[in-house]
Amino acid sequence: MKAEYANPFITAAITTFQKELRVSLNRNSLGVKESPVPSKDVAIIIGVTGMVKGQVVYSMDDNVAFAVAKAMLPGKLPAELRKLTNSAVSELANIITGQASIILAGEKQKIDITPPAVFCGGASRIDFLSLQTICLSFLSEIGSFEINIALTEE
Amino acid sequence: MKKGLIVDDAAVMRMRLRDILSSKYEIAGEAENGRQAITMYRNHKPDFVTMDISMAEMNGMEALTGLIAEFPDAKVVMVSAVGQKAQVFEALGKGAKDFIIKPFEPERVLLAIERLFE
Repeated sequence: MKAEYANPFITAAITTFQKELRVSLNRNSLGVKESPVPSKDVAIIIGVTGMVKGQVVYSMDDNVAFAVAKAMLPGKLPAELRKLTNSAVSELANIITGQASIILAGEKQKIDITPPAVFCGGASRIDFLSLQTICLSFLSEIGSFEINIALTEE
Repeated sequence: MKKGLIVDDAAVMRMRLRDILSSKYEIAGEAENGRQAITMYRNHKPDFVTMDISMAEMNGMEALTGLIAEFPDAKVVMVSAVGQKAQVFEALGKGAKDFIIKPFEPERVLLAIERLFE
Protein backbone atom coordinates (compact mmCIF):
# COMPACT_ATOMS: atom_id res chain seq x y z
CA MET A 1 0.00 0.00 0.00
CA LYS A 2 1.50 3.27 -1.09
CA ALA A 3 0.92 6.36 1.05
CA GLU A 4 0.59 8.47 -2.09
CA TYR A 5 -2.80 6.84 -2.76
CA ALA A 6 -4.21 9.01 0.05
CA ASN A 7 -3.79 12.44 -1.56
CA PRO A 8 -6.02 11.85 -4.62
CA PHE A 9 -8.85 10.72 -2.30
CA ILE A 10 -8.36 13.71 0.02
CA THR A 11 -8.51 16.12 -2.92
CA ALA A 12 -11.48 14.29 -4.49
CA ALA A 13 -13.46 14.16 -1.22
CA ILE A 14 -12.98 17.85 -0.42
CA THR A 15 -13.87 18.90 -4.00
CA THR A 16 -16.90 16.62 -4.24
CA PHE A 17 -18.35 17.71 -0.87
CA GLN A 18 -17.98 21.32 -1.94
CA LYS A 19 -19.48 20.90 -5.41
CA GLU A 20 -22.21 18.35 -4.68
CA LEU A 21 -23.21 19.29 -1.14
CA ARG A 22 -21.89 22.85 -0.69
CA VAL A 23 -20.26 21.57 2.51
CA SER A 24 -16.66 22.20 3.60
CA LEU A 25 -14.81 19.03 4.52
CA ASN A 26 -11.78 19.20 6.79
CA ARG A 27 -9.17 16.50 7.31
CA ASN A 28 -9.12 15.08 10.80
CA SER A 29 -6.70 12.14 10.93
CA LEU A 30 -4.86 9.56 8.87
CA GLY A 31 -4.16 6.03 10.13
CA VAL A 32 -3.09 2.64 8.88
CA LYS A 33 -4.91 -0.65 9.59
CA GLU A 34 -5.00 -4.23 8.33
CA SER A 35 -8.28 -4.18 6.40
CA PRO A 36 -10.85 -1.61 5.19
CA VAL A 37 -13.49 -2.50 7.82
CA PRO A 38 -15.63 0.62 8.37
CA SER A 39 -16.18 2.09 11.84
CA LYS A 40 -19.57 3.75 11.33
CA ASP A 41 -23.21 2.67 10.71
CA VAL A 42 -23.39 3.12 6.94
CA ALA A 43 -20.75 1.61 4.64
CA ILE A 44 -20.41 2.08 0.88
CA ILE A 45 -18.07 -0.38 -0.81
CA ILE A 46 -16.52 0.19 -4.23
CA GLY A 47 -14.27 -2.36 -5.95
CA VAL A 48 -11.32 -1.13 -7.99
CA THR A 49 -9.50 -2.90 -10.87
CA GLY A 50 -6.94 -1.92 -13.48
CA MET A 51 -3.75 0.00 -12.68
CA VAL A 52 -4.54 -0.48 -8.97
CA LYS A 53 -6.76 -3.15 -7.43
CA GLY A 54 -8.69 -3.49 -4.19
CA GLN A 55 -11.53 -1.87 -2.28
CA VAL A 56 -12.43 1.61 -1.13
CA VAL A 57 -14.90 1.66 1.76
CA TYR A 58 -16.65 4.89 2.72
CA SER A 59 -18.35 5.13 6.10
CA MET A 60 -20.56 7.56 8.01
CA ASP A 61 -23.27 7.56 10.67
CA ASP A 62 -27.00 7.37 9.76
CA ASN A 63 -27.63 11.04 10.50
CA VAL A 64 -24.71 12.08 8.28
CA ALA A 65 -26.04 9.90 5.44
CA PHE A 66 -29.43 11.63 5.76
CA ALA A 67 -27.71 15.03 5.77
CA VAL A 68 -25.88 14.06 2.55
CA ALA A 69 -29.21 13.27 0.87
CA LYS A 70 -30.70 16.53 2.15
CA ALA A 71 -27.78 18.57 0.82
CA MET A 72 -27.80 16.73 -2.50
CA LEU A 73 -31.55 17.15 -3.00
CA PRO A 74 -32.55 20.50 -1.51
CA GLY A 75 -36.30 21.05 -1.26
CA LYS A 76 -37.29 17.37 -0.97
CA LEU A 77 -39.49 16.28 1.93
CA PRO A 78 -37.95 14.19 4.76
CA ALA A 79 -39.96 11.06 3.84
CA GLU A 80 -38.71 11.22 0.26
CA LEU A 81 -35.14 11.92 1.41
CA ARG A 82 -35.19 8.81 3.63
CA LYS A 83 -35.98 6.67 0.56
CA LEU A 84 -33.17 8.30 -1.40
CA THR A 85 -30.45 8.25 1.27
CA ASN A 86 -28.75 5.07 0.02
CA SER A 87 -28.77 6.38 -3.54
CA ALA A 88 -27.30 9.72 -2.40
CA VAL A 89 -24.41 8.24 -0.42
CA SER A 90 -23.73 5.73 -3.23
CA GLU A 91 -23.45 8.52 -5.75
CA LEU A 92 -21.26 10.58 -3.42
CA ALA A 93 -18.86 7.61 -3.05
CA ASN A 94 -18.99 6.93 -6.79
CA ILE A 95 -18.04 10.51 -7.63
CA ILE A 96 -15.21 10.69 -5.07
CA THR A 97 -13.76 7.38 -6.32
CA GLY A 98 -14.13 8.52 -9.94
CA GLN A 99 -12.36 11.81 -9.25
CA ALA A 100 -9.55 10.09 -7.31
CA SER A 101 -9.16 7.57 -10.17
CA ILE A 102 -8.69 10.37 -12.68
CA ILE A 103 -5.79 11.71 -10.59
CA LEU A 104 -4.28 8.26 -9.94
CA ALA A 105 -4.56 7.05 -13.54
CA GLY A 106 -2.87 10.14 -14.98
CA GLU A 107 -2.44 10.37 -18.73
CA LYS A 108 -2.04 6.77 -19.83
CA GLN A 109 -3.32 4.31 -17.22
CA LYS A 110 -6.85 3.03 -16.71
CA ILE A 111 -8.77 2.28 -13.52
CA ASP A 112 -12.25 0.72 -13.46
CA ILE A 113 -14.62 0.95 -10.51
CA THR A 114 -17.63 -1.20 -9.64
CA PRO A 115 -21.07 0.23 -8.86
CA PRO A 116 -21.26 1.07 -5.12
CA ALA A 117 -22.79 -1.39 -2.66
CA VAL A 118 -24.38 0.14 0.46
CA PHE A 119 -24.64 -1.64 3.81
CA CYS A 120 -26.49 -0.18 6.79
CA GLY A 121 -25.50 -1.56 10.17
CA GLY A 122 -24.48 -4.94 8.73
CA ALA A 123 -20.99 -4.30 7.50
CA SER A 124 -19.54 -6.56 10.22
CA ARG A 125 -20.91 -9.57 8.31
CA ILE A 126 -19.01 -8.72 5.13
CA ASP A 127 -15.69 -10.29 4.16
CA PHE A 128 -13.42 -7.35 3.59
CA LEU A 129 -10.05 -7.69 1.89
CA SER A 130 -7.15 -8.45 4.15
CA LEU A 131 -5.00 -5.68 2.81
CA GLN A 132 -3.11 -2.86 4.46
CA THR A 133 -5.48 0.10 4.50
CA ILE A 134 -5.11 3.85 4.80
CA CYS A 135 -7.95 5.24 6.92
CA LEU A 136 -8.74 8.91 6.31
CA SER A 137 -11.18 10.69 8.58
CA PHE A 138 -12.79 14.06 7.92
CA LEU A 139 -14.94 16.51 9.86
CA SER A 140 -17.65 18.77 8.48
CA GLU A 141 -20.69 20.76 9.61
CA ILE A 142 -22.91 17.73 8.82
CA GLY A 143 -20.73 15.30 10.80
CA SER A 144 -17.74 13.01 10.32
CA PHE A 145 -16.89 10.93 7.27
CA GLU A 146 -14.36 8.15 6.76
CA ILE A 147 -12.57 6.70 3.72
CA ASN A 148 -10.75 3.35 3.96
CA ILE A 149 -8.40 2.86 1.01
CA ALA A 150 -7.16 -0.72 0.45
CA LEU A 151 -5.38 -0.65 -2.90
CA THR A 152 -2.39 -2.43 -4.34
CA GLU A 153 -0.55 -2.56 -7.66
CA GLU A 154 0.15 -6.30 -7.21
CA MET B 1 -39.95 19.44 -28.17
CA LYS B 2 -36.93 17.12 -28.33
CA LYS B 3 -37.10 14.13 -26.02
CA GLY B 4 -34.36 12.55 -23.94
CA LEU B 5 -33.64 9.28 -22.17
CA ILE B 6 -31.77 9.45 -18.84
CA VAL B 7 -29.59 6.44 -17.95
CA ASP B 8 -28.01 6.24 -14.48
CA ASP B 9 -28.08 3.62 -11.72
CA ALA B 10 -28.43 6.30 -9.01
CA ALA B 11 -31.97 7.58 -8.45
CA VAL B 12 -30.61 10.90 -7.13
CA MET B 13 -28.68 11.49 -10.33
CA ARG B 14 -31.65 10.59 -12.54
CA MET B 15 -33.76 13.01 -10.49
CA ARG B 16 -31.18 15.77 -10.79
CA LEU B 17 -30.77 15.31 -14.56
CA ARG B 18 -34.55 15.30 -14.98
CA ASP B 19 -34.76 18.58 -13.00
CA ILE B 20 -32.07 20.16 -15.19
CA LEU B 21 -33.39 18.95 -18.55
CA SER B 22 -37.16 19.01 -18.13
CA SER B 23 -37.39 22.81 -18.51
CA LYS B 24 -36.30 22.50 -22.16
CA TYR B 25 -36.86 18.89 -23.13
CA GLU B 26 -39.40 16.12 -22.72
CA ILE B 27 -38.05 13.22 -20.68
CA ALA B 28 -39.11 10.05 -22.50
CA GLY B 29 -37.89 7.75 -19.73
CA GLU B 30 -35.29 6.80 -17.15
CA ALA B 31 -33.21 3.61 -17.23
CA GLU B 32 -31.17 2.11 -14.36
CA ASN B 33 -28.71 0.13 -16.49
CA GLY B 34 -27.52 -0.35 -20.04
CA ARG B 35 -29.87 -3.21 -20.86
CA GLN B 36 -32.92 -1.19 -19.85
CA ALA B 37 -31.55 1.76 -21.81
CA ILE B 38 -31.42 -0.20 -25.08
CA THR B 39 -34.97 -1.53 -24.58
CA MET B 40 -36.29 1.95 -23.77
CA TYR B 41 -34.46 3.45 -26.74
CA ARG B 42 -36.17 0.95 -29.07
CA ASN B 43 -39.57 1.80 -27.55
CA HIS B 44 -39.28 5.59 -27.29
CA LYS B 45 -36.76 6.53 -30.03
CA PRO B 46 -35.48 9.54 -28.03
CA ASP B 47 -33.60 12.41 -29.68
CA PHE B 48 -30.77 12.13 -27.14
CA VAL B 49 -29.48 9.97 -24.29
CA THR B 50 -27.49 10.85 -21.16
CA MET B 51 -25.49 7.74 -20.27
CA ASP B 52 -23.72 6.84 -17.00
CA ILE B 53 -20.88 4.30 -17.23
CA SER B 54 -20.53 2.42 -13.94
CA MET B 55 -23.78 0.41 -13.71
CA ALA B 56 -24.66 -3.17 -12.81
CA GLU B 57 -25.97 -5.71 -15.37
CA MET B 58 -24.77 -3.76 -18.44
CA ASN B 59 -22.46 -0.76 -18.09
CA GLY B 60 -22.74 2.43 -20.10
CA MET B 61 -19.81 1.68 -22.41
CA GLU B 62 -21.41 -1.63 -23.47
CA ALA B 63 -24.78 0.05 -23.88
CA LEU B 64 -23.20 2.78 -26.02
CA THR B 65 -21.66 0.13 -28.29
CA GLY B 66 -25.02 -1.67 -28.57
CA LEU B 67 -26.98 1.50 -29.25
CA ILE B 68 -24.64 2.80 -31.96
CA ALA B 69 -24.57 -0.63 -33.63
CA GLU B 70 -28.38 -0.69 -33.82
CA PHE B 71 -29.00 3.07 -34.20
CA PRO B 72 -25.91 4.67 -35.80
CA ASP B 73 -27.43 8.15 -35.52
CA ALA B 74 -28.13 7.89 -31.77
CA LYS B 75 -27.00 11.02 -29.93
CA VAL B 76 -25.41 9.83 -26.68
CA VAL B 77 -23.77 12.10 -24.09
CA MET B 78 -21.82 10.27 -21.42
CA VAL B 79 -22.36 11.61 -17.86
CA SER B 80 -20.04 9.74 -15.54
CA ALA B 81 -17.70 9.97 -12.56
CA VAL B 82 -15.36 7.59 -14.41
CA GLY B 83 -13.73 10.19 -16.61
CA GLN B 84 -10.11 9.20 -17.07
CA LYS B 85 -8.58 10.08 -20.42
CA ALA B 86 -8.67 6.45 -21.54
CA GLN B 87 -12.41 6.22 -20.91
CA VAL B 88 -13.19 9.59 -22.49
CA PHE B 89 -11.33 8.62 -25.67
CA GLU B 90 -12.92 5.16 -25.67
CA ALA B 91 -16.44 6.61 -25.42
CA LEU B 92 -15.86 9.25 -28.10
CA GLY B 93 -14.30 6.56 -30.30
CA LYS B 94 -17.39 4.39 -29.89
CA GLY B 95 -19.65 7.22 -31.03
CA ALA B 96 -20.54 9.29 -27.95
CA LYS B 97 -21.05 12.97 -28.83
CA ASP B 98 -19.75 14.43 -25.55
CA PHE B 99 -18.45 13.39 -22.15
CA ILE B 100 -19.50 15.17 -18.94
CA ILE B 101 -17.56 14.30 -15.80
CA LYS B 102 -19.39 14.28 -12.45
CA PRO B 103 -19.65 16.45 -10.44
CA PHE B 104 -21.08 18.84 -13.03
CA GLU B 105 -22.80 22.20 -13.20
CA PRO B 106 -26.33 22.23 -14.71
CA GLU B 107 -25.19 24.65 -17.43
CA ARG B 108 -22.65 22.12 -18.68
CA VAL B 109 -25.39 19.53 -19.22
CA LEU B 110 -27.72 21.96 -21.00
CA LEU B 111 -24.89 23.17 -23.23
CA ALA B 112 -23.95 19.61 -24.22
CA ILE B 113 -27.54 18.80 -25.23
CA GLU B 114 -28.03 22.10 -27.09
CA ARG B 115 -24.88 21.41 -29.13
CA LEU B 116 -26.33 18.10 -30.33
CA PHE B 117 -28.96 19.93 -32.37
CA GLU B 118 -26.95 22.83 -33.78
